Amino acid sequence: MSDDSGVSVNNLCVAFHRLREYSIEACLATIIDGDDILKVSTEHLRDLSFQVGSVYQFIGELLIQPDNEVVLQARVGRNVDGIDLNLYHQSLLLLRRFQANHLNNPETI
Amino acid sequence: MENGKNNALALQNTHVKLLAFDLLSLTQFPFHSPDAATSFFRRGIPISRVEILGTVTLHHLKPERLLRFAIDDGTGCVPCVLWLNDANSPSVVRRRRHELAARFVEVVKFGAVARVRGRLSRYKGGVQVTVSDVVTERDPNAEIFHRLDCIRLARNCYNLLPSPSLRG
Repeated sequence: MSDDSGVSVNNLCVAFHRLREYSIEACLATIIDGDDILKVSTEHLRDLSFQVGSVYQFIGELLIQPDNEVVLQARVGRNVDGIDLNLYHQSLLLLRRFQANHLNNPETI
Repeated sequence: MENGKNNALALQNTHVKLLAFDLLSLTQFPFHSPDAATSFFRRGIPISRVEILGTVTLHHLKPERLLRFAIDDGTGCVPCVLWLNDANSPSVVRRRRHELAARFVEVVKFGAVARVRGRLSRYKGGVQVTVSDVVTERDPNAEIFHRLDCIRLARNCYNLLPSPSLRG
């Protein structure tokens, strides 16, 4: 779907990444995970302070701009310093396998 | 066999740890009767109480009536309701329950990570959790541990229980 500015709106997205830089004026955080970079609009977030190097969790909508740049419009955000990112990634792999098995064996009745 | 039957029924009296996508795919029975008490089944096993954990992504308070909120664990969004309408009940137990519920309202903040226990119920044709207990989680790894717990319990316990309808 598109709004008047031509911005594409995709599904909700969850991001768990380390903050690389933050612009107060633009309300824009840049987070990294390995070689992956994601821009996060934080204009809807209150009471959250940003520190470069800290790890944050954001939930929001993924917006694809007309120039194909992807920005996460965050609705919820929190600092998760202390999170075990290796365990997080391993749990994601397990979760995807579990969900795939669940869908392939829908004995739910 | 008798032991299996007992195990299957035991899930009715325990808080079953479920991921949102799993909870939202439970089967309801009866399917289209708004008045009748609804039962919920997972792979043929009846379930009445659940435990979920995730971020509070919706918060709608109607003072002295109820608090509606949603728990998002990354696999889905579970609607929850916390009733707040027993302040003037003649029942001491209900008034006590209301005092607890009023405290839970302070805990459920938009964006917080909460562990919720409650009973499964139906709202507008879908499943919801009628909350009996809420705590906030401060451990940044709590969501991961809950996710791993749910997967382990499903594989090693819930999925292994024989469905009562499949037994002779």
